[in-house]
Amino acid sequence: MTPKSTRLVRLCCILLLLCVGSLVFSQTRRITGKVTGADGQPVPGATIAVKGTNAVTVTAADGTYSINAKQGDAIVITSVGFKTQEVRVGTQDAINPTMVTATSNLDEVVVTGYTSQKVKEITGSVAIVKPKELTAVPAGQVENMLQGRVAGLNVVNTGQPGQGAQISLGGYGNFGNTTPLYIIDGVQGDINSLNPGDVESLQVLKDAGSASIYGVRGANGVIVITTKRGRSGRPVITYDNYFGSQQPLPDGWGLLDTKGRADLYDLAVANTPGAAHNNPQYGPGPTATIPYYIVAGTKYGVTDPNDPAADLTKYNNNYGAGAIYQITRANPTGTDWFHELFRPAFQMNHTVTASGGSDKSRYLFSLGYLDQKGTYVGSYLKRYTARINTEFNLKSTIRFGENLQVSYRDNPQTGVIGETNIGMTYREQPIIPVYDEGGGFGGSRAQGLGNATNPYANAFRALDDKGYDIAVFGNVYGEVDFLKNFNFRSSFGGTYDNFYNYSFGYHQYENAENNGSNSFAENAGYNTLYDWLNQLSYSKIINNDHNVKVLIGSEAISTYSRGVGGSRINFFLDDPNYRILSNGSPTGQSNYSYANNNTSLYSLFGRLDYGYKDKYLLTATVRRDGSSIFGPENRYGTFPSFSAAWRITEESFAKGLSWLTDLKLRGSWGKMGFAGNTDPLNQYTLFGGGTGDAYYDITGASTSAVQGFRSTRIGNPKTGWQTDKKTNIGLDAIMWNGRLTFSADYYHKKSEGLLFPLALPAILGGSTPPNVNVGDVENTGFDLLLGSRGSISKDWKYDITATVTTYHNNIVNIPGIPYFEDGGLRNGNAVRNQVGHPISSFFGYHVIGIFQNDADVAKAPAQDGKAPGRFIYEDVNKDGSITADDRTFIGNPNPKFSLGFNINVSWKAFDFSTFFYGTFGNDAFNYTKYWIDFYQGFEGNKSQRALNDSWTPSRPSNTVPIQEFTSTFSSDAVINSYYVEKASYFRNKSIMLGYTLPKSVISKVGIDRLRFYIQATNLFTFTNYSGLDPEVQGRSSVQGLDYGTYPANQKQFLAGLNVTF
Amino acid sequence: MKYLKIFFILALAGVINYACKKSYLDQAPLGQLDPSALANKNGVNGLLIGAYSLLDGYGGSGGGFGTAGSNWVYGSVSGTEAHKGSSVGDQPDIVPIETFHPTSTNSYFQGKWQMLYDGISRANDVLRTLALATDVSADEAAEISAEARALRGWYHFDAKKMWNKIPFVDETITYSAGNYLTVGNDADTWPLIEADLQYAVDNLPTSQSEVGRFNKYSAEAVLAKIYIFQQKWDAAKPLLADIIGSGKYSLVDQFHKNFDIINKNNSESILAAQASVNDGANGNNGNWGDVLNFPYGGSPGTCCGFFQPSQYLVNHFKTEAATGLHDLDNFAATDVTSDQGKLSTDAFTPYAGTLDSRLDWTVGRRGIPYLDWGVNPGNDWIRAQSDGGPYSPLKNVYSNSLQGKLTDASFWSSGTTANNVNLIRYAEVLLWAAEVEVETNGDLEKARDYVNQLRGRAANPAGNVKKYLDNSKPEGGFSNVDAANYKVGLYTVSWAGNQTLARKAVRFERALELGMEGHRFFDLVRWGVAATEIPAYFAKEKSIIGYLINGQFTTGVNEYFPIPQTEIDKSGGALKQNNGY
Repeated sequence: MTPKSTRLVRLCCILLLLCVGSLVFSQTRRITGKVTGADGQPVPGATIAVKGTNAVTVTAADGTYSINAKQGDAIVITSVGFKTQEVRVGTQDAINPTMVTATSNLDEVVVTGYTSQKVKEITGSVAIVKPKELTAVPAGQVENMLQGRVAGLNVVNTGQPGQGAQISLGGYGNFGNTTPLYIIDGVQGDINSLNPGDVESLQVLKDAGSASIYGVRGANGVIVITTKRGRSGRPVITYDNYFGSQQPLPDGWGLLDTKGRADLYDLAVANTPGAAHNNPQYGPGPTATIPYYIVAGTKYGVTDPNDPAADLTKYNNNYGAGAIYQITRANPTGTDWFHELFRPAFQMNHTVTASGGSDKSRYLFSLGYLDQKGTYVGSYLKRYTARINTEFNLKSTIRFGENLQVSYRDNPQTGVIGETNIGMTYREQPIIPVYDEGGGFGGSRAQGLGNATNPYANAFRALDDKGYDIAVFGNVYGEVDFLKNFNFRSSFGGTYDNFYNYSFGYHQYENAENNGSNSFAENAGYNTLYDWLNQLSYSKIINNDHNVKVLIGSEAISTYSRGVGGSRINFFLDDPNYRILSNGSPTGQSNYSYANNNTSLYSLFGRLDYGYKDKYLLTATVRRDGSSIFGPENRYGTFPSFSAAWRITEESFAKGLSWLTDLKLRGSWGKMGFAGNTDPLNQYTLFGGGTGDAYYDITGASTSAVQGFRSTRIGNPKTGWQTDKKTNIGLDAIMWNGRLTFSADYYHKKSEGLLFPLALPAILGGSTPPNVNVGDVENTGFDLLLGSRGSISKDWKYDITATVTTYHNNIVNIPGIPYFEDGGLRNGNAVRNQVGHPISSFFGYHVIGIFQNDADVAKAPAQDGKAPGRFIYEDVNKDGSITADDRTFIGNPNPKFSLGFNINVSWKAFDFSTFFYGTFGNDAFNYTKYWIDFYQGFEGNKSQRALNDSWTPSRPSNTVPIQEFTSTFSSDAVINSYYVEKASYFRNKSIMLGYTLPKSVISKVGIDRLRFYIQATNLFTFTNYSGLDPEVQGRSSVQGLDYGTYPANQKQFLAGLNVTF
Repeated sequence: MKYLKIFFILALAGVINYACKKSYLDQAPLGQLDPSALANKNGVNGLLIGAYSLLDGYGGSGGGFGTAGSNWVYGSVSGTEAHKGSSVGDQPDIVPIETFHPTSTNSYFQGKWQMLYDGISRANDVLRTLALATDVSADEAAEISAEARALRGWYHFDAKKMWNKIPFVDETITYSAGNYLTVGNDADTWPLIEADLQYAVDNLPTSQSEVGRFNKYSAEAVLAKIYIFQQKWDAAKPLLADIIGSGKYSLVDQFHKNFDIINKNNSESILAAQASVNDGANGNNGNWGDVLNFPYGGSPGTCCGFFQPSQYLVNHFKTEAATGLHDLDNFAATDVTSDQGKLSTDAFTPYAGTLDSRLDWTVGRRGIPYLDWGVNPGNDWIRAQSDGGPYSPLKNVYSNSLQGKLTDASFWSSGTTANNVNLIRYAEVLLWAAEVEVETNGDLEKARDYVNQLRGRAANPAGNVKKYLDNSKPEGGFSNVDAANYKVGLYTVSWAGNQTLARKAVRFERALELGMEGHRFFDLVRWGVAATEIPAYFAKEKSIIGYLINGQFTTGVNEYFPIPQTEIDKSGGALKQNNGY
C-alpha cells in the first residue's frame, strides 16, 4: 500500500466509523417537554419541528408536547408573538424551552402565493393584517374592515349593512372592476360570505413579485386569507359577542320646514319675471299660506278645516273599492323625512368556536350569527355561518384535510348610487305628512308638491320583500411528503351558492306618479366555481447557507351560473301571504331565464425561492394561463415576475448597529393580467333577441308578438389579456426593537391593453361591440406603514401604527376619441375620463362667481341665460363667449393621500384602542345641490341656504344662486363647479375600552380568559363637506359622485365580551 | 417509495392532461344563435321581424323617448305644435331642441341616430343572411328583399329628414369587412333611398296576409313621400294616383277612429308601427316612445305630463261661424281661451266660438270630455302650467275602458299601449295628392276636393266629441250634445286659378288633420317657411312658456339637426357636421 492509498483507507474507515457511530447515536427517541413564556404561562399551539425532517407537532393547551428526534437534531419552536427558538437535542429526554416575546414578526410564517414563508424571507411587498386589527372596527364583512389597515389599499364604504366596499389596490388600473382577488384557504372565494371572526390571518399581496403567480387574476392585487384551524391539545371553546345600536345622523340635509319652503316659493315667484302665485297649495298670494288639507278628494290646498270635501266617510285608498279619495292634512311644522327613514338600529354579533385535536388530527368548528340592522328602515344583514376545518395525519408523511363553510345571508339592500329612495328624503316636501287622515300614506298626490314619492312608504312596503343567499364554500386537500425534500399537494375546492328573492310592488295611490298596478316578481339562481389545484414542491438547504425552494403546479378553474325568474301583476290582495306568481293576472306576465357562459381557466405555474445565508433573497415566479374568455389566438398569457431582497442587517457591518434590529431592501418587477369586464362571449358573433327588442306584432293582434331576431354581438377572437407591469421598491426597517418600524413602498404600475368595448359607429347597428385591448393607465404611488410599540413601564404598553396611502393616476391612452364621459346626471355627464388626467375627473363649466347686477352681466362674455343671480362661467378659451369649449376639469375625486392611524394602549388589565381614518385632497360632486339648492327643476324640498343665503336683488351673494322658476345654462342646467366640493375628512372610526378579568378570579369557574369592552364608532369627523358624508362610494370610472349616499359616518355604540374556556 | 414517485408523476400528468384537453378552454356560447343557424327561410324571416320591430323607435340601441317612431319631439315639439311639457327639469335635453339651440352632444340626437341605424343594420342583416340561405326560392327571396329594403329606405328617410347629410349604409358594410369607416355623408343619398323603395314597389304584392308588413301600396306611399320631400311632384303623382285608385284604402267615417286602439289597422292605415302589450315583454312592444305623453296627476296614463299642445296649434282650429272655414292668415291673432293661470277650482268657461271638431280629438283642454276619463279638469292634469301650458295630448291616449287590457299594466305607468304609431294615413296621401296638384299648378279643383274629403268627415256631427250623459259617470256614455261649438265647413269657392290660396289651405289642413302626429317641423322645412313661421310662433307662445324667450331659429342652420358628435368622432373623419353646428 502506498501511503496515499493507506490514507484513503484510513479515511474510509473513519467515515465508516462515523456512519456507524451516527447510526448508533442517531437512534430516535421520544422527547417531551413544556413550552412556557417568560411569565411562566404555558404556550399552547406552538409548533415544534425537527429541523431538516418532516416531523412536526403542536403544543397542547398546557404547553406540553412530545416528538421523536435524534441526538444532534435541532428542534425549532415557533409561535405567533414569540421569537423562534432552536434547541439542539442532546442526551436529555425533556426539553422545556422558555419563549421570548417577539418584538417583530420576522419569524412569523404567513401564507402568500401558493406557499407559506417566514416574514423575513418575503421578497415581495406583502402587507399583513392581524385579525385583531381587522375586527377592531365592527362591520358586517371583511372588505369594509380593511379600510385604513393596509398602506396602498383604497377602501370606500357606505353605511348600508352588507354592502361591499369600493376597493382598489395601488390606484385604479382600469375603468371597471378593481376588486382584488380573494383567496380563502387557497381557493378563490367570496369575501362577503366570510365570518370575520373566522379569519386567522390576512395578507395583501401588493406587488408583482408576490401577486404575479396568480397570473390573469392578479392585476388588481391579491388578498390571501387563512381561516382558523384547530391545534393539538384539549378542546378550547371561545365565545365572542357584541351588542349595540347605531344612531342616524342628527342633522340630515339641512332642509327647510313647511314655513321656510313656502317662503322660498314666495322668493322664487318674486325673482321670476311674470311668475304668479298659482301653486294649488299656497293660495293666491302675495305671500304663501299653508293650507289645512293638502288634498281632500279632488280639491287641493284646502284651507277650511271643515270643508265638506274632507268628509272622512268619503275616504278611500283601495283601488278595488272605487276611485281613490284621499284626505291629507298639511304638516304645518314640517315632516323630517330624513329621520322618518333613518332610525336608530340595533345590532348584535355572536361567534362560538370550538377547537382542539391531537398530533394526529385537529379540528375547528365555529358558528357565527350576525344581525346588523341599518338605520335605513328595513335594511339589515343577517348572516349565519358555520365552519368546519379539520386536518388528519394519516402517516407522518401524509395529511388530509378540509375547510368548509356554509353561510346564509339575508340582506335586503336599498340603492345607494343614483336616484334612490334616500334621495326622496330631500325631494318629498315637508308639508306632506307621513300618513293621511284615513291611515294611508301621505304623498305628492296633493297637487303642486312635485313628483317625489313618500320615502318612508317606499321602505315600509319593501319590508315584506325577502331574499337570501346560501353558499357552500371550501376545499378538501391532501398532501404527502416524499423523497425527503418533496411535497405534493392537491386541493379541490370551490363555491356553490344559491340565491332566491321576491319582491312586491304596490299599486300606490298617494303619489303624483303611481305604479299602474301591483306586481310581484320572484327570482332564483345559482353560481358555481370549482378550482382544482395540484402542486409539487421541493425544498432543500444546501451547506446550511443556500436555501432553495422550488414549486410547480397546475390549476383548473371553472365557473357557471344559471337563473330563472318571473313576474305578474294585478294581484287580488296585497296580503304578503297571497304572494305567489300563480295568483297574478296572466296578462302582463313575464318570465326569463339566463345562463352565464361557462368560463374555464387552466394554468401552469412555477416558483423559485433562493436565499443565501438569510441575507440575499431571490424569488422568481412564472405563470401561464389559458382562458376560455378569449379566442384561441390570444387566450394564453405568460406572466413572469422577479423579486429580490437584501437583508442589510445580516451583513457584518450592520451587526454592530444594535439599534437597528432589522433592515431589508426589496425590489420587484413583474407582469400580471386582468380579464375583468370581458364577457365570455366576447369572441363570438351572435344573434338572438328577446321579446322586448326583436319581437314584433306583425299581425296586429295587439296582445301578442311574433318572434324575431337581431344581431346581438360582434365578436373579436383576437382580444387578449390586459397586462399590468408593476415595479416596486421597498424598504422595511425595525429599530430599537420595535420602538420604530416602517415599511415603505414606491411603485409604478402601467396597465396596458385595457379591455375596452370597441367604439363602433352606430351604422354597424345595435349589437354589443367586442372588448378589445386598447387604452393604458398609469399609477404611481408611495405606501408607508409606520409603527411603534413597546412598554413605558411594566404596566403600560402601547402599539401605534399609521398607514399612509398615496397614488397618482394618469390615463395614458384611450383609443379613438381620447376621452369618454361617465356619471350621467339629469344635467349632463359629471365625469370625463381623458388622456392626461386622473381617472374619474369632474368636467364642466368653472363657476367664478355670481352676477350681482346688470353691469356685471353686460361686461361678461356672451353666455346663454346670463342674468343677475346666476353663475359667471370662466371663459377658458378667452374667445368672448361661453360655449361647450369652455368646459374644463373642475375636480378630482382621487385623494392626494389617505391615512389610517391606530393607537393601542394597555394598562394592567385595561386595554384602550382607537382608530382614525381620513382622506385628503379629494373632491366630491355634491349632486344633491341640484335638487336642493335650485328652486327650478323639481319641486322638492330645498336647502336652508337656498332660502337664507341665495342671491336676491337686495341681498348680494356669491355663494348660492338666485331662486327662480327658470332653468338655464347659467344655473342648474349644465354641469358646473358649483357642485364640486372639497371632500377631505378625518374621522375617528372607533374608540374602544376593554377590561380583562384577572385569571385568579375566573379560573375558579373554569374560564381561561374573560374580557369585556365598550366601543363607539364614528364619534367625530372633521370635514368641510356640506353633504351627509364625504365618504361617497362609486366605481372606478365614476368616483365621489354624491346623490345622497347611505352615510358611513353614523355613530354606533357597542358592548361586547370575549370568553375562552 | 419508488411506486409513490411514479404514482405522483402519473397523477400530475393526468391532471395536466385532463385540463389541457383543448376542449376545456373551448366553451360554446349559451343561449344565443350562431349566424349559420339563421341562414334559412325561418331564420331570415325572424331577422325581418326584428327589423320591423324598430319602426316604433324602441327596443334597439339608444332607445328612449327621443327615438319614438312618432317623432313627437322633432316633428311636433320643434314644429310649433307642442311643448315639451311636464316641468322644465324633466328630460331637459328637449328644451334646447324646442328653442333651436341644439348641440351635437345632445343625447336625444345620439339616441335617434343609433335607433335608426340599428333598424338599417337589421334590414341589412336580413339581406346578408338571405344570401346564405339555400331553402328560399327566387320569388320568396325577392319578396323578403323588398320588405327589408323598404324598411332600410324608411329608416334612412327618417334620418334624412332629421339631418339631411347622412351616410347610406347597405349590406356590404360590416365590421368584419373593415369598411365601416369609409361611409361618409357628403354624397347625395336620395337616389339610394329611392332605389330601395322602388325595388320594394316592384317586388311587393298588393296585399299581405299580415297587416304589419309592407305591401306595394305602402311602399308607393313612402316613395311618394320621398319624392315630395324633393319636390319631385311629377314622380309622386302617379304613385299617389295608384294608391287612391286601388280602392284598397279609404277614410274611416270618424276622425277619432285613427287614434282609437280598437279601430287600429283600419282602412285608412297605410303604414303603422304595430304595438302590442301584455305579450310577455313588459310593455316594451307597446307604444313606448310616447309613454311620457299623458296628462299628469293620477289622471289617464298616470304619468308624466309631457307633449303639451301649444296655444298656437289650438288657434288653428278656430273657424268662422258662418262658413266653418279658417282665417288662414291671422288665425294666431286671437286665442281660443284657455285656463292658463287658473287652478282647477277657479271658475272657467271654455271658448264659446266655433271650432273645428278635430281640435277636441287632438288636444285635451279644460271643460271638454276627455275620452271616457271625465271632463278635463285643466290644471289638475298639468304638471306645471308655466312650463308646459294648459293643454294635454290626446291622439296617443287610450280609453279608460281599455286600461289594463290594451295597455301594459306591468309597466310603471299604464302608458305603454297597443296604440299603433300612424306613420302614413290615407288622409295624408290625399293631402299629398292635393299638394302635388297645387305645386304643379295642376288641377286645383281636384286639390280642393281632396281637402274637402277630410273636412267633410270632420263636419260629420257623429264624429264630434259629445258631452257625457252624466259628468260624474264618464264611463256611462255620451249624450248627443256636442261638447263645444263645432262648425266645419267645406271650401265651396273654386280654387281654380288661385294657387296661393290653394297652397295655404292645403298646408293649413295638414295642421288640422295631422296635428301632434310628428310631421309639422319637417313640413315647415320642406316648404321653406320654417324661418318665418317658427319665429312667429315663439313671439306668440313665449308669453305662455317662459323659456321660449330663448327660442331663436337660425336660417340655414336649424332646418336640420346637428349630427351627433360621438358619431362624427367614431367615424374617423368620414362624417361631416351639418352647417352651423
